[in-house]
Amino acid sequence: MIRISKRLELPPYLQWLIRASSIIFALIIMSVFLLALGHNPIKVYSAMVTGSFGTFFRFRKTIELMIPLSITALGILVAFKMKFWNIGAEGQILMGAFAATFFALKFAYLPRPLLLILMAIGGSLIGGLWALIPAFFKVKYATNETLFTLMLNYIAIKWIIYLQYGPWKDPQQAGFPKIPDFSVNATLPTLGGIHVGWLILIALVIIAHIVMNKTKFGFEIAVIGESKNTAKYAGMSVNKVILSTLFISGALGGLVGMMQTSGVHGTLSTSITGGIGYTAIIVTWLAHVKVHLIPVIGLLFAVLIQGAFFIQTAFQIPHSVADILQGMILFSALGSEFFINYRLHLVKNRRAKRVVK
Amino acid sequence: MNKVIELKGIVKKFGTVYANDQISFDLSVGEVHALLGENGAGKSSLMNVLAGVYQPDDGEIIMNGERVTIPSPRHSIDMGIGMIHQHFKLVESHTVLENMIAGVKSRLFINYKKLGKELTELSQRYGLQINPFSELNMLSVAEKQRVEILKVLYRGAKILILDEPTAVLTPQETARLFDIINSLKSDGHSIIFISHKLDEVIEISDRITVLRKGKHIDTLKNEHLSPRSLTNKMVGKAVELKIERTKTDYQDILLEVNNLFVFRPDNSQALKGLTFKLKQGEILGVAGVAGSGQKELCEAIAGLQDKITGEILFKSENICGKSPRDIINLGISMSFVPEDRLGMGLVAGMDLVDNVLLKAYLKQPGIFVNRQEAQKEALNLIEKLNIDTPSVHTKVSKLSGGNIQKVLLGREIELQPELIITAYPARGLDIGSAHKIYDLLNEQKIKGNGIIFIGEDLDVLLKIADKIMVLCDGEVTGIVDPDLVTREDLGYMMAGKKLERGEVG
Amino acid sequence: MRKLKIISVLVLSLLVLLTACSDQGSEPQGTTTKVGFIYVGMIGTEGFTYSHDQGRLYLEQELGVETMYQEAVDESAEVETVIANMVDQGCNVIFGTSYGFGKYMLNVADQYPDVKFLHCSGAQDAENMNTYFGRMYEPRFLSGLVAGLKTKTNKIGYVAAYEISEVIRGINAFTLGVQTVNPEAEVEVVWTHTWYDPATEKEAALALIDNNCDVIAQHQDTAAPQQAAEERGIAAVGYHSITEKNAPEAYMTAPIWNWNDYYKSEVEKVIAGTWTPENVWLGMNDGLVLLAPLTENAPDGAAEIVEEYQSKIIAGDFHVFSGVITKQDGTTIGEEGQALSDEEMLNMSYFIKGVNGKIETN
Repeated sequence: MIRISKRLELPPYLQWLIRASSIIFALIIMSVFLLALGHNPIKVYSAMVTGSFGTFFRFRKTIELMIPLSITALGILVAFKMKFWNIGAEGQILMGAFAATFFALKFAYLPRPLLLILMAIGGSLIGGLWALIPAFFKVKYATNETLFTLMLNYIAIKWIIYLQYGPWKDPQQAGFPKIPDFSVNATLPTLGGIHVGWLILIALVIIAHIVMNKTKFGFEIAVIGESKNTAKYAGMSVNKVILSTLFISGALGGLVGMMQTSGVHGTLSTSITGGIGYTAIIVTWLAHVKVHLIPVIGLLFAVLIQGAFFIQTAFQIPHSVADILQGMILFSALGSEFFINYRLHLVKNRRAKRVVK
Repeated sequence: MNKVIELKGIVKKFGTVYANDQISFDLSVGEVHALLGENGAGKSSLMNVLAGVYQPDDGEIIMNGERVTIPSPRHSIDMGIGMIHQHFKLVESHTVLENMIAGVKSRLFINYKKLGKELTELSQRYGLQINPFSELNMLSVAEKQRVEILKVLYRGAKILILDEPTAVLTPQETARLFDIINSLKSDGHSIIFISHKLDEVIEISDRITVLRKGKHIDTLKNEHLSPRSLTNKMVGKAVELKIERTKTDYQDILLEVNNLFVFRPDNSQALKGLTFKLKQGEILGVAGVAGSGQKELCEAIAGLQDKITGEILFKSENICGKSPRDIINLGISMSFVPEDRLGMGLVAGMDLVDNVLLKAYLKQPGIFVNRQEAQKEALNLIEKLNIDTPSVHTKVSKLSGGNIQKVLLGREIELQPELIITAYPARGLDIGSAHKIYDLLNEQKIKGNGIIFIGEDLDVLLKIADKIMVLCDGEVTGIVDPDLVTREDLGYMMAGKKLERGEVG
Repeated sequence: MRKLKIISVLVLSLLVLLTACSDQGSEPQGTTTKVGFIYVGMIGTEGFTYSHDQGRLYLEQELGVETMYQEAVDESAEVETVIANMVDQGCNVIFGTSYGFGKYMLNVADQYPDVKFLHCSGAQDAENMNTYFGRMYEPRFLSGLVAGLKTKTNKIGYVAAYEISEVIRGINAFTLGVQTVNPEAEVEVVWTHTWYDPATEKEAALALIDNNCDVIAQHQDTAAPQQAAEERGIAAVGYHSITEKNAPEAYMTAPIWNWNDYYKSEVEKVIAGTWTPENVWLGMNDGLVLLAPLTENAPDGAAEIVEEYQSKIIAGDFHVFSGVITKQDGTTIGEEGQALSDEEMLNMSYFIKGVNGKIETN
């Protein structure tokens, strides 16, 4: 029989040791799998690292993945800090991308800095408003935000598909449904070979850190997350804070949408997110909803995704196996949190045995 | 006498803190053995060892002469130990009978009729008077407690542990519980009775074991014991039990409540037309069985109830229906110590500094919070109220109940409010700290501030309050002069019966 | 807790050791030809991606060249990463088999001047990039002949993905085939707005069957519509590849792809150093598209009439879209004795008479 009980807080080094061991555990399990498929696991794992950093191009691609992952995770973080389970980042990214694309297509004649700023503001605004919808219904009618935000993702996806097959279909594509490519004016400039999103990320991490830890607003978010009753008791305008927080959360997603269309893909389609809206939830969670850990975990995930992608080509590992590898590592990482918080006791005797001294 | 259980030298540590340090305890057949001690004395830890929740770090458990280990709650139940917790572990929407079989080893078929008969017999034998087919949410608190007793008896318990069973009962219901305990006792059951109410312990138990700060102090036969001598053992030094009632001669009305109705989310009435007045420099005691509308009354005044009609005049300004923020913006300084300390008054997952900040941050200038200021204030509270905490950066959830209460009360009183609403301010505090709190409240009274004091200990209410309002089921049964009534009178009023005398305006 | 610590340290050091021992060198880059395939879907056992992968295997078998592939690649900048990875692995020919890959192939084409890019269904080319596709409407017409003979209710269901020219053209060609043998019959169209979603596509097929259709055709990537037909005991026409085992009682035939010859000849040209980017739209006479062999489920007499039109098409004596064609709204297009131009076919955005369905135009 196994009994589970809550642990006292472990010292940080032990916590990290457990996390590291769990990842190693996943890698060992996967090694057996890879060996069975005829691959040298050590080669595969080191290829995941070289596949992420080996050349400047790969490094760029890894960073280009880390940027949207981390910024989206920051957006999710502010909502999660308030225990508002916003899993609608995917939709918020897409709606932000929609707004950015609107400016990119309809105002392509504007000078580049002006157009880019318009796109960024438009993207953030629409992303924020998209997140405000579930927040409004939560505040007003106590709806379940988890379901609500999730469902809005599908609406956003269908909206983009509608635009792609309908009003925004590029007439120059021989009948194929595709939204036109952005002009140079609507493309984010690069700095050091990578689009300027990395600068924005650094700025946002610093700002988010200050807001969450030093300002009244951040304090209110934290208190509401702990207890709405206490927040009301302390004189906080709970609903106002919830609405503004969700606007910010969605706006960050919207900004990511703008950066993905403008900086990476150069057009709009549903695949600009690449599932970032969902992956970022796990990033936020593994970062323990702490701002300073977000870029670190974001980078780890970028490496994991990029590496898994690389080994598919390099070793001709089927997509599904690469998926299992990612899933295994994720599962272990999340599972390690269980062992950090709980301990298992093996209880040997099945029934109450009386042992005579 | 035959010993059913012996605990020898039990040690239970949490980190470096000793919850139990070499505690020995024994229980005889057909005995009521009281476990007496202040909060944090180690009563709960010791009982959790018996219930299989904690494993002792040292010491032995001997049952009927054999050394045993109790690795899990399930084993504890199998060994015939039944614990009745302070917070009932029952399913509200189920019947009594369904609650009985939940968690018991599964059987494929259940003969409800036969089981019902068995339970009825069991219930009658000990005077529990429980109908196995009634639904839990139709029962009163006292009845639910008896369901819990029935449950452990049905599971074959010979040893019953009652954790603060009288905390939720009226004096009349307490008397009834004592009858049940006596009939269990005469049938050969052994009972461990946990309490810190001295009179009750003296009334019901055969022996009394006193714990203090994790240590065993004394085990006494219950002969010629006085509350005072037990208090001395509990707190370690003689403490003046007397509570002063300070006289003031303010005449101005501070708070006037007229025809106040509060509705619950399901639109049922929690308060039914309350009307009363509170003068400056006055303590209004509020008595009532738990759930009579005390919580709604406090929250209505503090601006935390939404569905509300009537008038709440604070110095003739109507604040009925205003939010806490509105009230602050009106410049009204009001403190509220809610019953739910960690769920409302404090943020459990935050440290002392942030909890002090909670009430201070709105008044700080700019968009940033000033934690230095809050930290200074937190250190001040720690010193002033003797709060036992490793540092100002300890999460309040890690503090003991008494220290949590000190943080909350201290913060609220330091705000220099004109009106203080406190719900059970001394709950969980040791006698010394409780008196400190009473002194602080009296100090505020002298300054001319008004106090609404929701209490559960009628003796304390009778001593400290200038007048006592008794609530029953959301209605005022009477507002009486404490000098003219007895605790028994209050008990009758709490049950909804009007009293002919003692009424004040 | 101490035990845990020791174990973790042990495992960690073991791993460090193993990593240090393993060689970090990448695969040696050969000068021989290596062909990379980028797929939008999973290979699986049927469908569009499957048909391309058959071509890839054919290349390996016939030319002995090394190939590699990557499945489930998004139509996004992800394509650039895949190309870079493939070039790193020594690929000098890359086939991208989805329309949406074009932009990203084009983005990096000039970075790899020595690599040949071949883009299926694309519209843009470069000095080292061409586009290629097949005239699927030809075998679709033939499958229409089979369906037209088969139907008793004179209602044929068509589960279609999206309102784009390629799909519309296929529906029109199919309808022309149906009406050639059965002027009474009509084709009922339902849009799923998915390429690959078995549940939705099956639902759509069932709705058509409930509406009295007794033959189901499809423009989808799964065999789900055929399985719906199988369940209800009616006939079906597949697409992309032979799917007889998915619906043995329903499947009659399918307009399918055969990339083998095209892929072989292109890669041979690359090896010989004679490859130049040439944009092609190949038909049945090139063998790129064809109608799969009829099964026993096909109606009597179908084989003969299919054979007749097939040889006419291959010989160039018959064009599917020729003469005056009446549109759904009653207007006409085309002239007697002339076929529609490629341009006209590529931009087809209307249904012809005999199709029941609407194109939500914008």
